[in-house]
Amino acid sequence: MTPRRVVVTGLGLVTPLAVGTEATWTGLLAGRVATGPVRSFDATRYRVDRGAEIDGFRPEEHLRRLDPASVGRASQLAAVAARLALADAGLAADADPRAMPERCGVAMGTTSGEPAEIERFDDAWVAGAAAASDPRFVSRYPCHVIAQNVAREVGWRGPVAMLPNACAAGNYAVAYASELLRSGRADRMLAGGADIFSRITYSGFARLGAVAPDRCRPFDRERKGMIPGEGAAVLVLETLEEARARGASIYAEVAGYGLSCDAHHMTGAQPSGDGALRAMELALVGAGATAAEVSYVSAHGTGTPANDRVEAIALQRLFGENAAATPVSSIKSMIGHTMGAASAIEAAVCALAVRHGWIPPTANFEAADDDCGLDFVPNTARRHPVVLAMNNAYAFGGSNASVLFRAVPA
Amino acid sequence: MTHRVGITGVGVLSALGDEPAAVSRALCAGEHARCPLHPPAGADPAANGGFAGLAELGDAEIAPLRGFDAARYLGAETNLRPLDGAGRRLAAAAALALEASGWTAEACAAEAVGLVAGTMFAGMRTIAEFDRRALEAGPQYVMPLDFANTVFNAAAGQTAIRHRLTGPNATLGGGPVAALQALGYAADLVRAGQARAVLAGGVDELSAEALRAFSRAGLLSGAGEGPGVPVPFDGRRDGCALGEGAVLFMVESIADAERRGAPVLAEIVASASAWAPVGEPGRSGPAEAPDEVAAALARAIAQVLGRRDGAALALDAWSSSASGDVGRDRTEARGFTGALGEGARAVAVTAVKGALGEMLGAAGGLQALVLIEGMRSGRLPGIAGLATPDSDLGITLSAEGRAVDLRLGLATAVGFDGAVEALLLRRWEGEHFATR
Repeated sequence: MTPRRVVVTGLGLVTPLAVGTEATWTGLLAGRVATGPVRSFDATRYRVDRGAEIDGFRPEEHLRRLDPASVGRASQLAAVAARLALADAGLAADADPRAMPERCGVAMGTTSGEPAEIERFDDAWVAGAAAASDPRFVSRYPCHVIAQNVAREVGWRGPVAMLPNACAAGNYAVAYASELLRSGRADRMLAGGADIFSRITYSGFARLGAVAPDRCRPFDRERKGMIPGEGAAVLVLETLEEARARGASIYAEVAGYGLSCDAHHMTGAQPSGDGALRAMELALVGAGATAAEVSYVSAHGTGTPANDRVEAIALQRLFGENAAATPVSSIKSMIGHTMGAASAIEAAVCALAVRHGWIPPTANFEAADDDCGLDFVPNTARRHPVVLAMNNAYAFGGSNASVLFRAVPA
Repeated sequence: MTHRVGITGVGVLSALGDEPAAVSRALCAGEHARCPLHPPAGADPAANGGFAGLAELGDAEIAPLRGFDAARYLGAETNLRPLDGAGRRLAAAAALALEASGWTAEACAAEAVGLVAGTMFAGMRTIAEFDRRALEAGPQYVMPLDFANTVFNAAAGQTAIRHRLTGPNATLGGGPVAALQALGYAADLVRAGQARAVLAGGVDELSAEALRAFSRAGLLSGAGEGPGVPVPFDGRRDGCALGEGAVLFMVESIADAERRGAPVLAEIVASASAWAPVGEPGRSGPAEAPDEVAAALARAIAQVLGRRDGAALALDAWSSSASGDVGRDRTEARGFTGALGEGARAVAVTAVKGALGEMLGAAGGLQALVLIEGMRSGRLPGIAGLATPDSDLGITLSAEGRAVDLRLGLATAVGFDGAVEALLLRRWEGEHFATR
């Protein structure tokens, strides 16, 4: 059987810029920065205080089945993103005559799952009240509940998978979902990622000295780190055949993906960029494309000195002589590092870039770094036809994932 | 022609040992590894894992990996400090699986071998300890080394570093369904050309946090009056005993395996995942309620059995995820009989959790292991501790191991929140027999 082609037909974004795809996209193109002082917990015990949190998130305005009080915040973000994505795909009606719920599934990624649940568990433990902790912990904390809560919200009954692949999780989830669609084991998938702003994550990155004191400045000579954030993104994936049959509006095809592991260090990238390069090359093989055909790279671009240097090296190795001619940008400069959601949000941004022919900028970019000599689309969005967009993500544990999105001629 | 994918080696760490054939023999002999969480007065308090301060758990049983020492598998000279409990278990299982399948360090350096690890809690103990240290001592006192292990995929990342596994590196959440799902995904990755070979299975570690969480949710056996019965499909069952372990299988293209002269232990024929809402998360509905999860499992089983070459495949053995949970055991049996109908009674049934406890992310690995060993040895374990089989389940239950000519084996799992998984394995007898 010839593998079926997989396309993106809907996007749902919940980001520090906005609850909504259109508003997030507009904000990104305007170069709006959504990072600022941490609000959700007392950050005075840390030496840094910047974060990227979502304001005014009211899940009850979007959810139809899920009671927001019955699930953690990551599930809320994910389920709202799923609702937005379905509406965008023209699938808002619960009864969909074209697809059986048994043939529709969910694949989600995350870094920390529902960390607020274990933080409450720990609060009780530290207070000597662990024996009386919340009995619902087992049904609220394990990360797989995020994907299941999305399925619960949308009423789908097919394959449900949770990929807690840290900061590459969104791309891993898109790859996982596209494999189920290609091989015919599902007809429609929601794929994405979700993470919330968390004390545990903040403590860790602060302790590593990885949090920027002021702004996130990917690839800038003066970059000083990342800024932890929160968010969710969900993509509606279906087969090209099915999308055409129902007259869906297609953003892009999931043309190929590549997964690899540095097997080098838990938190530091392999200096040569070998692992990142292998993921990009595998994705190109899958798409039957060459590096020269890539019109835009959505970089992992966290803003830490080491990540950005290695990523730039890998990109230079991939593109060779064309390196300076291929626009590369990091939206983490605006919405911070949303962890497991990041590459899902960036996947959605690739799909939007393909559709609209616009590339969001790398904000806060002031001084080019000799180590990173590429076209980083500094500070101003750019009109640019995007035929093939590459979405890169790298994670703790050395996981690398690149996904390619290609324009589908009408 | 279909790109056939098979298993060429197993690495296992279980409460009944780390040698696949010996684990299977012990299970067939009716042995179990359960012990009291709290050793009796006078015994070494650390004997059973040393989970102090859990007085509220009363008479709960556990099935720990006693005396686990990662250095035995990873080398005495290895610096184990960066690895937490889950990471050590998974890396050790990987060492065994690589050795068993003949993938040398040189081969792993030359080819990008992947890893797919299923889990439920993975590094929860590290995560909780890290957070409590930040709370009690201040965030400046947390250890960066610990932070690296607070991501759910830390065990997989650490294992990749230990063994130079540079292929796809995925972690799948999902608890009891995760290892079976991982095996199915590994086969997908090989078929998709993302890696020539992928280690797949799962891991979970016993921890005070997990024990407490399960106890508070009412999932542990022994919480009520009288002695607990953490025995799958037993009429008196009252919950599970928590266990732990790590299992990894080497999954690769059968053509590749045969080219390099590696024996193929089993073919991964098909896998399927499905989901259905359960009433209250973590709970199954009342006996009389329509069981949507059972229907989802029946669907997944029907999908993997399919109708190949004109006839549904005839199943020789079923390896169930039943753990002693009152509702979920029944759900799984209903799903199985829903798919097999009257044929269900003819299938040999095993459920390893009676002997090994609920191993969560590792559980599916042990379930698949007994099928694969059964294909080799012709024997399938019964259900350890089964004394009064639940009579109205429509399946044939036995405490005793039995002889089975095991060509086709099914492993299934029911998760805590409505996820189900089915994986079909076939004894590999060469291309001719496989296509018949």
